[in-house]
Amino acid sequence: MSVPSLTMSTEVPTAGVEISNISKSFGNHLVLDDISMAVTPGSVTALIGPSGSGKSTLLRCVNLLEKPDRGTITVGSQTIEAGSRVSDRDLLALRRQVGMVFQSFNLFPHFTVLRNIAFPQERILGRSREEAEERAMVLLDRVGLREKAGQHPGRCSGGQQQRIAIARALALDPRAMLFDEPTSALDPEVGVEVIAVMRELAETGMTMIVVTHEMQFAREVGDHLVVMADGHIIEEGIPAAVMADPREERTRRFLSAVLDR
Amino acid sequence: MEGFIAVLAALPLTLIVTAGAFGIGMIGGIPLMLGLQSRIGLVRGATRLLVDIIRGIPTIVWLFLLYFGVSFGGMRLESLPAAVIGLGVISSAYLAEIYRGSFQIVPRGQSEAASALGLGNKVTFTWILAPQAFRTAMPSMATFLLALIKDSSIASTIGVAEMVFAATTFARQNPSTAGLVPFFLAAIVYVAISVPLAVVSRRLGTRMMVNA
Repeated sequence: MSVPSLTMSTEVPTAGVEISNISKSFGNHLVLDDISMAVTPGSVTALIGPSGSGKSTLLRCVNLLEKPDRGTITVGSQTIEAGSRVSDRDLLALRRQVGMVFQSFNLFPHFTVLRNIAFPQERILGRSREEAEERAMVLLDRVGLREKAGQHPGRCSGGQQQRIAIARALALDPRAMLFDEPTSALDPEVGVEVIAVMRELAETGMTMIVVTHEMQFAREVGDHLVVMADGHIIEEGIPAAVMADPREERTRRFLSAVLDR
Repeated sequence: MEGFIAVLAALPLTLIVTAGAFGIGMIGGIPLMLGLQSRIGLVRGATRLLVDIIRGIPTIVWLFLLYFGVSFGGMRLESLPAAVIGLGVISSAYLAEIYRGSFQIVPRGQSEAASALGLGNKVTFTWILAPQAFRTAMPSMATFLLALIKDSSIASTIGVAEMVFAATTFARQNPSTAGLVPFFLAAIVYVAISVPLAVVSRRLGTRMMVNA
């Protein structure tokens, strides 16, 4: 599966992500309370915490799938100010820089696997069909699914679909990648395939923010671990250090709950 | 035999009324469906009211209103255009509801994924959401079309010479011999169109399920 010569993320330099003083409420419920977090270019940040802690919402704020009420988001050299009206052009420019992978894959079921990866390139980057499909094949090779190109996603297993979703996001040459619980919908033995692709991607120097319950991945691949609870960052640091010796009682409880599973 | 020829000769008009109305409905249903889902409350409310009014009025009343009630500079609508437009308006309202339901079934993740990729609203609607909604809508659309074929017979009440009109005329002209036969013949023709259509639509539905 690993073909090191196919370096695909080096064409566009990766970007850092900076989240400053982000707050977000759903109705009266404060989901994110003045969160700040810096992700250096090429690093991997694992975002963990109990469900309802706001980690997915925080991730979705980075590409503005959720609009924060306050704060700023910076990706590379582009800064977006919450509260101000974001023009469509700025929004698309931001999303062009940031790829996202969802828990539920969200491949387009009416397209073949190849079209899933080629179509966005044609529409967003203006690549020709041949160019886009060629690139799609390179990426399918990279995630080990070349033979699935002509099939519909419905015929692929969950792990395969998630790897295709990663290829689809990478095809747009993102400068950073967001992963929202990419293995939570998968059986553990299938999740391994997806983790392997993510691990390889991290090695190419992609900036990654990963919401996950995969502690082993966080420890081995993560450069930084952020623990959230109730809309706050309660603890952060080097993953192995935080896991070995959490400062906070809540982190301790969460870690032992996850590791016991 | 004569009766059969008379009824069959009127089949093209039945098909024209049905196809014309369905065509108008397929296109007219799109703006109505968008209106039903508008973010602007006033637009949503107005469209909802319009759709409910259209669906609330019996088909025969619609056709009478259009045929006897509408005139352009003293010119009344001919019976055929009145029938096509009347049934077309009704089709628009029903198909708008079918479309709306189908769009709601498309998972939220689809538009989220499109947004995250950076696809614009128009591209997302045209290439991602509409094709998926259309697949879901197909069986309901076919069911509606089957009902519409039969409803096209209401056009006979304003003088469109479709099959029921032809059957009625033939029965009147041959009161001693015809009896119910022309209507029985018309029924056979309706069934001969409807049943294959139903079979095809079920087949299409199953095939799409497999590919989805």
